[in-house]
Amino acid sequence: MIETMESSARSQHISSRFDEDLESVRARLLRMGGLVEEQLRRSLAALADADRALAGDVVRHDGEVNRMEVEIDGECLRILATRAPAAVDLRLIVAIIKAITDLERIGDEARKIAHIALRLAALEHPVDRYRELRHLGRLVERMVHEALDAFARLDVEAALQVPQDDLQVDEEYESIQRQCMTFMMEDPRQVRRMLDVTWAARALERVGDHAKNIAEYVVYMVHGQDIRHTRLEEIEARLRSRSGGERP
Amino acid sequence: MLGVALAIGLISGQVPIALLLAVLACVAWQFSKLLRFDYWLRHRSRSGPPALGGAWDDVVAQVLRIHRRKRYHKERFVTLARELRDATAALPDGVVLLDARGGITWFNRMAQQLLGLRGRQDVGVRIDNLLRRPEFGAYLAGGDHSRPLLLRTGEATEAWLSLHVLPYGEGQRLLLLRDVTRETRIETMRKDFVANASHELRSPLTVITGYLETIADDIALDPALAPPLAEMRRQAERMAAIIGDLLVLSRLEAKEEQVDGRPIDVAAMLAQLRNEVLARPQHPAEVSLMVDPNDRLLGDELEIHSAFANLVDNAAKYTPASGRIALRWWVDRDGGHCSVTDTGPGIPAAAIPRLTERFYRVDAGRSRATGGSGLGLAIVKHVLQRHGATLEIASVEDRGSTFTCHFPAHRVVAAAGNG
Repeated sequence: MIETMESSARSQHISSRFDEDLESVRARLLRMGGLVEEQLRRSLAALADADRALAGDVVRHDGEVNRMEVEIDGECLRILATRAPAAVDLRLIVAIIKAITDLERIGDEARKIAHIALRLAALEHPVDRYRELRHLGRLVERMVHEALDAFARLDVEAALQVPQDDLQVDEEYESIQRQCMTFMMEDPRQVRRMLDVTWAARALERVGDHAKNIAEYVVYMVHGQDIRHTRLEEIEARLRSRSGGERP
Repeated sequence: MLGVALAIGLISGQVPIALLLAVLACVAWQFSKLLRFDYWLRHRSRSGPPALGGAWDDVVAQVLRIHRRKRYHKERFVTLARELRDATAALPDGVVLLDARGGITWFNRMAQQLLGLRGRQDVGVRIDNLLRRPEFGAYLAGGDHSRPLLLRTGEATEAWLSLHVLPYGEGQRLLLLRDVTRETRIETMRKDFVANASHELRSPLTVITGYLETIADDIALDPALAPPLAEMRRQAERMAAIIGDLLVLSRLEAKEEQVDGRPIDVAAMLAQLRNEVLARPQHPAEVSLMVDPNDRLLGDELEIHSAFANLVDNAAKYTPASGRIALRWWVDRDGGHCSVTDTGPGIPAAAIPRLTERFYRVDAGRSRATGGSGLGLAIVKHVLQRHGATLEIASVEDRGSTFTCHFPAHRVVAAAGNG
């Protein structure tokens, strides 16, 4: 009797340390997310204000994002190897391993935007400070923010909102592309600038896709459902049938 | 009861057995009371106190009394806690309570608004998981919480949030949030105004000075006009000096971060300042120099020069021709120190804390006569702040003053080679 009590206390001790490990690796993922959000915000500010110093700063900080990815990846592998987590814990680790890849890519896109900002800062700064890009940037920033918030709160409903926003991002991206093409035809001297604007818009559109992926990992983590490559209505129907019609 | 048992025993001739049965009955009876008492204790809320008689009633009454007192205290604490929370909820500032690992335990409505927190859903979530700005993470994890952190927030419009972490209890922390957008904007406007106003004043003044010079050089000028013209030129020069200092100050304010800087040869700088004082038509009899020639100060050379020049200039202006000035530069364990000592009139103790305020005058007559801008020490203070240094002022009236700049140790390096 005493022996079993002791061993159960020990296993409880181990599992609480295990919980701590999971908690800490999740916090590290979100810290990396915070850094990536900051990189994205700063790269867009550098673009809008033609701030070369800020753009240079973003490029320099990209290494930090990559370093964090490697660190978190190592930590996840260590947990997989030593603790052999199951069910929801395993899904958390898998989701984190996937999410850091997407975050690292978002960091890369932010660095690309910073490079474009450096090039555009050498040209004459337009009066509207690239209004369309700023608008698209805000949309995408919000998507990343909401995807990470959903990750922090394990909030499936908020996560399902992110793919919806992505539709709007795609629309904006296409409209910028069309606009750039028109400008290029009107004034061939603008081709260089317009190409760069198109590249920046493309980078932002990619960021939106990565944010969507992160949101999908949240659904996977909580419900064990893989909703990638699935239409939105279908996902909602599936989740609703799972929760047994509790949700209105 | 025992009497009855004894009687029955005597009648039947079985006294011990009768007594034993009586005692057993007694015990059983008391035991049943104990059970009823126990039942009542367990289900106190459902039934009133049992009537058990004898000493039992005293025990029941005692338990009731303790219970009532406990309930009274509990209710008082609950009310008090609720009132405290209601009061905190009504605060105009945001309040978030954090446990030792940074998890949110409670927050008020304002905090919910400022941070975009959800309701109960966010209780238990780590604050740094939701507020992911790297500056905040570093601030929360760092040890120095003496000052709040200013964060720029808001997407399209600029907004500023002040966050202050206050530790309490055992590892718990209180996060105080305030929207400082308005204050920050006013501060920016003030700085911009001073910079723009000084800039705009400079051009008209240049024109006035130019004409004054031309007129003064005119040979056909009525000699009676010479003294007023000279005075006008002096005042115009003073105005130019004030505007120049205002511009220097606003430039210093615009650059908030600390400077990294390059090694400065403080010994050579002080030697040059000493020569400049001695070159003046009126100067103190003795200007001594005591320096460590092998130590360099890391900083912005122009800024440091303007700070030291201001201190030396003040000393030269306030020291009579018979007085002395001493310039020192030395390095010890605490860092680098530069001091300027004079034998001037000294400063009243009450005035010392206000000395670095802009346009502060110890007495109205004195410094206007010497032609200072009233901004010199404000510039010194700003330059030192940007170098992480402090200014110490010691003064005895009628004996003199010492101004000492203390630089942190990490700003001092040895001269390369033999200096």
